[in-house]
Amino acid sequence: MADLQPDMPRTTEVGELDGLPDAPFPEQPGQPEPHTPAGVLLDQARALLAAHPVADGYSGLPWALRHLPRYDLELGEAAIDTDMPRMREGHVGALFWSLHPPEGPGGDRATVGTLEQLDHVRSVIESHPEGLRLVRTAGQVIDARNCGRISVVLGPAHATALDDSLGVLRILRALGLRVLTLTGTAWAGERGLTRFGEEVVREMNRLGVLADVSGAPAATAERVFTLSKTPVLCSRSAARALRPHPANLPDELLAALGAARGLCMVPLIAEQTGPTVQDVADHLDHVRDVAGPQSVGLSGTYDSGAVHPRDLADASRYPHLIAELLRRGWSEADLALLTWGNVQRVLRSADFAARAAQHRRDTSPTRITELDAL
Amino acid sequence: MTSLDEARSLLREFPVVDGHNDLPWQLREQVRYDLAARDIAVRQDDHLHTDIPRLRAGGVGAQYWSVYVRSDLPGAVPATLEQVDCVRQLIESHPADLRAALTAADMEAARAEGRIASLMGAEGGHSIDNSLGTLRALHELGVRYMTLTHNDNNDWADSATDEPKVGGLSAFGHEVVREMNRLGMLVDLSHVAATTMRAALDTTSAPVIFSHSSARAVCDHPRNIPDDVLERLPANGGMAMVTFVPKFVLQAAVDWTLAADDNMRAHGLHHLDTSPEAMKIHHAFEERNPRPIATVSTVADHLDHMREVAGIDHLGIGGDYDGTAFTPDGLDDVSGYPNLLAELLDRGWSKADLAKLTWQNAVRVLGAAEDVARGLQATRAPSNATIESLDGDA
Repeated sequence: MADLQPDMPRTTEVGELDGLPDAPFPEQPGQPEPHTPAGVLLDQARALLAAHPVADGYSGLPWALRHLPRYDLELGEAAIDTDMPRMREGHVGALFWSLHPPEGPGGDRATVGTLEQLDHVRSVIESHPEGLRLVRTAGQVIDARNCGRISVVLGPAHATALDDSLGVLRILRALGLRVLTLTGTAWAGERGLTRFGEEVVREMNRLGVLADVSGAPAATAERVFTLSKTPVLCSRSAARALRPHPANLPDELLAALGAARGLCMVPLIAEQTGPTVQDVADHLDHVRDVAGPQSVGLSGTYDSGAVHPRDLADASRYPHLIAELLRRGWSEADLALLTWGNVQRVLRSADFAARAAQHRRDTSPTRITELDAL
Repeated sequence: MTSLDEARSLLREFPVVDGHNDLPWQLREQVRYDLAARDIAVRQDDHLHTDIPRLRAGGVGAQYWSVYVRSDLPGAVPATLEQVDCVRQLIESHPADLRAALTAADMEAARAEGRIASLMGAEGGHSIDNSLGTLRALHELGVRYMTLTHNDNNDWADSATDEPKVGGLSAFGHEVVREMNRLGMLVDLSHVAATTMRAALDTTSAPVIFSHSSARAVCDHPRNIPDDVLERLPANGGMAMVTFVPKFVLQAAVDWTLAADDNMRAHGLHHLDTSPEAMKIHHAFEERNPRPIATVSTVADHLDHMREVAGIDHLGIGGDYDGTAFTPDGLDDVSGYPNLLAELLDRGWSKADLAKLTWQNAVRVLGAAEDVARGLQATRAPSNATIESLDGDA
């Protein structure tokens, strides 16, 4: 067997996102990957994740914790899929904490439900200051990482939380919200965005709230790709070409998302991807092929009630997925984008677009009744 | 130097902290928050009691902006958030005149800079929809007092102007008070039933306020404070901020309002109906019965009495501007405070007394609530109580 040593990524070489070597794994089709022992690949995956940790696009942890009488994330909790030891083992560097109530958008009390989630998240973060840090900007994600903390980004929340009001959107942003899922309202429903819906997207751009169109109809997704001044997320979408789940994206949308430099975050949900690590890797391969390596990301979806593929049962298992991708010949550059770089880019872009928009655009006083005939 | 000149010079050093102003609600009702349509940087005499030139003329140094919403409409929480958003916009768009204030220290900093400290108060427990998480969110957003009720009862507290239901505060109501203490949000007892006032005073470990209430012994209206409650303020450390609303402070106006309401009901209309037909009936009533006019002296009578009962360290001012259709003569809008101070000077109030009334008491009370909160936060975790768990399903 060939000496693998020259190909091993050395962490000192890959500590920075900038200046990645162009070809850390020189293309050698057919070899040596098929012969690489699994343990070596896993070591490679861990080394790679140490440099480029996982930014997980969707975690249901806040809800799971609400139903535990007491917990200590530092010591570890068997009742949930996510805790500090397992996140460290899985090399998780950042988490998007979902504010979606599990029972659905929430009706009349959607705003209250979201405020309660925000409050709960804040108290969980405050009680784990050694492990977690609430972040509001891309820059703060870097700071948190430099301090050895796992960043928590607030969102996605449901659009219903807005109660059709841009004022409420601004308040949720002031409370730290960064991602909003654009489905299930009168202005972002089955028929796409209304005029008020478009104004919501413009105000989100001005505030730096990312649009999430997972689960939205194609009409909404396409309009948001066009309208948004900053890349858009699909927080939990795999490839429909491989598996016909309604939240999965057809190839046309994946291509459009890629062209808009948005981010398709493939969920570790067996129903959407299939039951094995190889199935997840197939989706990642497909999304990378169709949308491009700059448009693929990961959503652990742990503690959200989803059934996960085998061998990816909790937040410690990311190295197994990365090892599979290494086996398939993913370059370090592409893997670094997948786990960390793309999320950083999207957050940073939203921060930048918001600063730019605030010079151009005042707070929107628009009310839904002015734009949408009801 | 006339009393008025002296009042103005006093206000330059110790400006007014006003406990309650409904400008945000007027901006909602009049222009749907299109702030450009009511630019408060210039005088808005035709539309509002409040704008920056008149706040300056009135010697206002700090304002609790009310983020009131009606209790009879659905969606109180999102509507309250919109009110908060409105105040944030007002502050952001007038940086030379308004300064966001979250603490007593911020109030002092604003005074030192010559800006108007802008605080927020929520008017009615309906604004948290029985959710302590929402209460904490309001605190996080800068809301520094909550009136426990508005004109109607809520599920956990009785209002002064509704039928008794829980008999003051329910178990959850007491928990709301404790959580407010832990947060450093002032418990505001304006609008609540006397039973609620007493229950809250029993439970609170921080000073309470009455953001806009006067003395019931001077004018018998349920919105005013009974003497036995005023007497408890020294031990509690809190304050009563006298309000100017004529139909609460002048007995003749109270009686007139009752008669006017009866007249509306006699015509088969709701007493708050403002339809053209109802207004016609009301104007006819007003022709026959001229509306009694309150004056600066009416308000000073309340302050004299409240001072006797509660003491000079427990008084303040809460005009309720833009929350009332009528105002007393001489206190027509937010530029009127110097007239009240001049009247009090003429009645022999000292400069030291007036400094407490206008500025010092209110700053002390907020600072004391912060101290209590710091102490409680060391020993008490955020409350996860729900109304179902404490009050049952009754």
